[in-house]
Parts: sequence; structure tokens; C-alpha cells
Amino acid sequence: MIKPTLKAVYLLFALSSGLIVGGYADRPAFNDKVAPQTLDDFREIQQALQSNLARARAATVCLQMGGGSGSAVIISKDGLVLTAAHVTGKVDEEIKVIMEDGRELKGVSLGLNSETDSAMLQIVDEGPFPYVEFDEDDTTKLGDWVFSLGHSGGFDKERGVNVRVGRLVRQADSTIQSDCMLIGGDSGGPLFNMAGELIGIHSRVGASREESMHVPIREFQSHWEELKKGSFIGEGGFAKKSVPGSGFLGVITEEAEEGGLRITEIWEESVADEAGLKVGDRILEIAGEAATEEVMTIKVAGLGVGDQLKLKWMSGGETKEETLKLGERP
Amino acid sequence: MNKIIGILLLAALPLSANSLPSEKRKNGPMVQKALSPVQVSLQESSAVFYNNENSKLFIYGTVVSDDGLILTKASELEEVKDYHVRVGTKKYRAPRLVGRNDSWDVALVQIEAEGLMPVDLESKIEVSHGTWIVSNGATERRFRRPRAGIVSANKREIPGGSPAVLGVALEARDEKILVGNVTKESGAEKAGLKEGDELLEVDGNGIKDRDAFIEYLTTKSSGDVIKLKAKRGDETLEFEVELMARHKLYGGTQNRNDQLSGGETQQSARRTGFPMVLQHETTLSRRTVGGPIFTLDGEFVGMNIAAANRVEVFAIPVDELAGIVEDLKNSL
Repeated sequence: MIKPTLKAVYLLFALSSGLIVGGYADRPAFNDKVAPQTLDDFREIQQALQSNLARARAATVCLQMGGGSGSAVIISKDGLVLTAAHVTGKVDEEIKVIMEDGRELKGVSLGLNSETDSAMLQIVDEGPFPYVEFDEDDTTKLGDWVFSLGHSGGFDKERGVNVRVGRLVRQADSTIQSDCMLIGGDSGGPLFNMAGELIGIHSRVGASREESMHVPIREFQSHWEELKKGSFIGEGGFAKKSVPGSGFLGVITEEAEEGGLRITEIWEESVADEAGLKVGDRILEIAGEAATEEVMTIKVAGLGVGDQLKLKWMSGGETKEETLKLGERP
Repeated sequence: MNKIIGILLLAALPLSANSLPSEKRKNGPMVQKALSPVQVSLQESSAVFYNNENSKLFIYGTVVSDDGLILTKASELEEVKDYHVRVGTKKYRAPRLVGRNDSWDVALVQIEAEGLMPVDLESKIEVSHGTWIVSNGATERRFRRPRAGIVSANKREIPGGSPAVLGVALEARDEKILVGNVTKESGAEKAGLKEGDELLEVDGNGIKDRDAFIEYLTTKSSGDVIKLKAKRGDETLEFEVELMARHKLYGGTQNRNDQLSGGETQQSARRTGFPMVLQHETTLSRRTVGGPIFTLDGEFVGMNIAAANRVEVFAIPVDELAGIVEDLKNSL
């Protein structure tokens, strides 16, 4: 009894939208069904997804900086990349970009919007790069089938990019929600419609497993030029502007006889602790300079939360080097 | 907790034209309904294991012979002393454990049955990224419910596994191997090893260094017993220590993504260390793996072996299963 009515409503919806935007030649039929009615509907979803997957995978990259890892997607031949603000965290920051085949590239973060979680990045290496088109006219509708890609849990060459399928289940101005499941490491990765067009960027998850939030492409479009020229937009919770002196490494050191700085104390759960520095280790270089008390004070005092600091240190006879992302002063 | 939030959201739906009702979502009943042709395969070739103590479902199994052989997840089965099995609409009491394979974490169980509809272990179907596959979702006593997801990543080995451990920290000091902290309830504690003991020999061979000793332990499986000779003060003592699977003694280590995945109640405790897996993204949990997976055409593709996290489920591919079952049958 209820079914025919619902169908009618959907048909009406499809027709009216078609009139406004001007034709839906490519719009697959399964999107206008309340739910798949037969196995053939599932097969059509599968076929649409698979025919767009190779290109989508090739353009989906892993971002690595300061020990953290997120995802992103390339949207132009010369390497313009969309991702989430809480992944890049900062403007004009050097970030490693890894393709699915393991190729490593150099990227620099452009602008970000701390209120909606959108961000851009530019690959510095020379292209051309594989890229995806996006749903420029914002044609994707509630209930449409979508697929999600990302480097879930970090880069894993053997596994490759992780793909998931679902439907668009909720729409709001600056957020869209799907039931494609997400996990840490997916942040910044792409959400596609079944034409293989980018429609959103993964941002966060809700209370239940199938509650995933994405930044819609229209949100990027409305701040495009600002993002591209490197602006830090808003004062939202997805990224914090760096305040010099607020950064915290989490070590107390003394100058060692053999040169460098000997670590005498480490704060639990500090950046230094998580990077594996230990009491007794000897710091050799800070940001490329020989480590002394003076260099340490000057370098750290100039940095804020989330700023990067390159350290070289000696631990149990082994020399280690890592770029750490400073934490918050406890 | 999640359920309460779900209900609240539902209540708000009529007001919001911008939200898709839950029954139309990927795991909703309207989507599930279209999978009913595949449900037939699930219904007949899945087994459901119930704990006799609380009548709760604790793992699924896969019917691999018409005369009652069921393959299931070994590490979950060993957690329950007394259980019964349902296949189709029938209940089978007193199943018997035939054998197990630790490397794949599978156990073969015999029930008193005939005329069952086993999965096709000779199936040659190849599936790739994006292919729909159907698993057991929520179940009723007499009815298996299908749940769909897609193949989501490259077929591959999952390293790690759950090595057999002694249950002590090892300290190398002044060319000696000393016992450090001894974990409670471990084989080492039960055998009487104490902190400070100096390890001299294992299974009759001198222990040269820490690495060589650990290397030797990696050749052992959980349940194996090793003989240790150790020095305590002026005494030389001998111990027989039963090795335990690391995950049993220490639990799975919990990182942020594990917590996000619901932790121990949702994730399989044994979720690493498989020679080859097919990965998919169906919403399953620790208790809903073990069953068969099928394509939309009802072709058998593999057996779910671990709910790794909220986005990744591992299955043993069918081309590996035939050999595994054959080996276990021979131990009959």
C-alpha cells in the first residue's frame, strides 16, 4: 500500500530536479529506487562502481606528516589536492604524499577552513598526475549510492586503497552524511557518486558505525580562491592557528660531555614520548643545527602546537631521525 | 548505547526531509529484502554456534560436508566449553571437535547429521574490488539474515598472528638471559618461573642469546610444552612451561582505531596472522564471522575469519579452504 505512493513521490522528485538542472542523461536508474528491488539493481551498482574505481584509486593518496597519517585526492593534472583541515592542520606545511603504488611525492599545504574541515594541498613534484573530476553542479541527491576511498589506518602497500560502498543518508549545508564506514586514516579521503565524480571529503564519524560525515564539494567551491592562495579561514575546531611558544616537545635535557643534549626526563604521552625518545638518549641535531641548550630554547620558543621540528638523536648506539609535530603544553 | 541514539534519530526523521530513513540504508531491511535469492544459500550452508550456558550465539560456521562437518573459527570456539549448533532450522546437540589449524585459526567440528547442503569447495569464482558479497547478518533461531558488502582491498597475507609466548619479560644482562616480570596466569607463572632466574637451556640446548631464544620460540605453537633449565641463586632448576597464544595472555593491543571499532566486543581477538585473506567491508562483528560468503549469484567465495576493525573483515578465500578442510579431515 505504501510502496506505490513512495515511488510516485520519487518520480516527481526526479522529474522536477531534471527540469531545473537540465537533463540527467548519466543518472543511473538505481539511484531513483527507494532501495534495490532485485539482484540486478545490486549488479548495476557494482558495475557503476567498478567502472570508475581504477581512476578513483589512482588519484587517492596518503598524506604523512609529523607521525600522523591521513588521506586526500588529486583533482588536477598538475597536482592540486583536496583533503581535510584537521589532516593538514596548517598552511604552508611540507607534507609527504604517497600514491597507491608507493610512489612518494612532496606536497605543501595550501589554505584550510577550520570551521568546515576543508583544505587544499599542492604537489610540488612535476606531473602529470592521475586525477578525478568533481560533481561541479552538485547533482548528487539524498539516497544516491556512493563509494568511499581512503588509506584506512595508514598506508599499507600490500592492501592498497580501501574501498567502501553506501548511500547518501543526510544532507546539510556544510556536511553530508553517508553510511560508508570510516576509520582513522581515512580522514581527508574522497567520497564519489556512481559516475565517479568527487562529491565530498571524509571528515569525522558519528556515534554509530554507519554514520560518516563528509565535507561537500560545494563547501570547497564557495571558498576556492581563498583555499588556493593559502588562507587560514575561520576560528573553528578543525585546525588551530599556531601561537609561537605554545609548542611542547616534552623533554628536559642537559648538555652532554660528548656533545649534544642528554635527555634527563620525559613527559608521559608527550610528543617525545610517543616518538620513542628515552631518558639517556642524546639529541644530536635540532632542525639541522648541532644541539645545544641555546639552539633548543630558540627553536622550540619559535614554534606553536602542531609545528614541525626535525630531530636527530642517538638511542642505544643507534642514530635516529624524525620530524615531530609539537604538542600542547600540559 | 548506539541503539538509543538510533531511536532518537528515527524519532526526528519525519521533521527532516534531508535524512534517509534507516530501513532504506545499506544495512536496512528494504535493501536486505532484495538479497533474498542469496538467503537460500546462507540458510542451508551456515551453522550457528550457541553457548549452552547462556543460549547466546557466539560464532558462525560453514557447512563443508553433507554428513555434518562444520568449519568455524578456532579461537572463538575454544572460549566456550559447552555448545550446540544450528543448521537450517534444526538444532544439533553434542558436536565433536575433529581438529584445528592454528595458522588459519579454524576448527573442524562434527555434528550428527546427514543430507546437509555444503558449500562448494571446488568453486573457482574470482572476485575483485567492488564485487558484492553476502554474509550472515543478524540471525534468528530458524532464519539467517543476509547482509551485503563489497570486496574492499587487495587479496593478501596478513602478517603478525598470535605467536606462542612464555609470559615473561626477558632481560639480557652481562651476557646472561634473566627472567624479568612474570605475567599472571601465564604458563611461566604456573610452571614456577620467578623474576631473576637465569635461563640456561631450552629443550636440552644451551641458550646463546636473547634473540636466538626468541627465534626458537617462534617455531612453537600455543599449547606446546618446552623444557627450561634455569639458575636461581646456587640452585639449578628445571621447568616444563606450556606456551600460550599472545592474544589470550595479553589481549589484543588496543590502538585508537581499535577503540573506534568497538574494542573487544566488536573486534575478533585473533585478527592478524593469516596466510591469505580476501578483504571486504560488510558490517560484521566478532560473533558474526565464521560463516560462508557468497556472490549475488550464490557462488561460494570464502569463509569469514576475522572482524579486524570497523571497516575491514577478513575471509579465507575458497581456493585455500579445500586444502585446509582436506588436511583436517585426514586427522579424523
